[in-house]
Amino acid sequence: MVHVLGIQLPDRELARYALTHIYGVGHKTAHRICARLLIHDTCRVADLSPGQISSLAAFLSSPSTAPAVPRFPLALPRFQPPSPSTPMREIQTKVAHLIKGRNAAPPPSKVHPLPRGGRDPLPSLKIETDLRREVRENIAHQRMIGSYVGKRHAMGLPVRGQNTQSNASTARKLNRIDRFG
Amino acid sequence: MRPSLAVLSGRSAWKGPFFVAFPNLKEALTNNVAIKTQARNCTILPNFVGIRFQVHNGKDYLPVLVTQDMVGHKLGEFAHTKKRFIYRTTKNK
Repeated sequence: MVHVLGIQLPDRELARYALTHIYGVGHKTAHRICARLLIHDTCRVADLSPGQISSLAAFLSSPSTAPAVPRFPLALPRFQPPSPSTPMREIQTKVAHLIKGRNAAPPPSKVHPLPRGGRDPLPSLKIETDLRREVRENIAHQRMIGSYVGKRHAMGLPVRGQNTQSNASTARKLNRIDRFG
Repeated sequence: MRPSLAVLSGRSAWKGPFFVAFPNLKEALTNNVAIKTQARNCTILPNFVGIRFQVHNGKDYLPVLVTQDMVGHKLGEFAHTKKRFIYRTTKNK
């Protein structure tokens, strides 16, 4: 068992599924978090390194203030890999030289454009108590202004026109002024 | 996900909110006269704040006083159309 922010993540599950145990994290968000923390797709919770777990906890405790993901420049199209017969030492000296050069001069400021989906949604992530509070505030707002949505919440009935003759059990369970889940 | 205004809730941002231009808006604000309307789908705009409306619920006109918090909602949300069922033994009561 791994505990992150007081939530148990089962050891045997894949990391990206285990993350969905957190209220407010679904499959998409879990996948994004994994990508951010460099956790591969078939990694189980038991295989996570202590560093990864601590960075996960650090990220989830305040997603908005987490440092931005470093963006490393990719190889240029004209890059040609050294031939396999090149001695290792030669490559190592070359790389060492490159790293030295990069340390001396700041990396190129050209930022790679974000993918087509728009901004990174992770900084605005809300989980657990924050999200629950937001939901409760929204319901309280609807109730205060006296709208139909607020009224239906107070009655514990479906809000969006579903049938109530039978079923509607999810609404009976969840729709409250002081919603818990 | 495309960025759009939260108040539009799914409607294209370039269209802006749907609303009905009430001709007697100014008069209603100064004289405190209620505007009688059937336009339940009219979005409440910031300049509606403080105006009294009589919104049709399908049967009669219910009074709605617009406050600051209602901006962005529809007029119809505040005139309920359904009545709670109450069982009565005799019809004439």
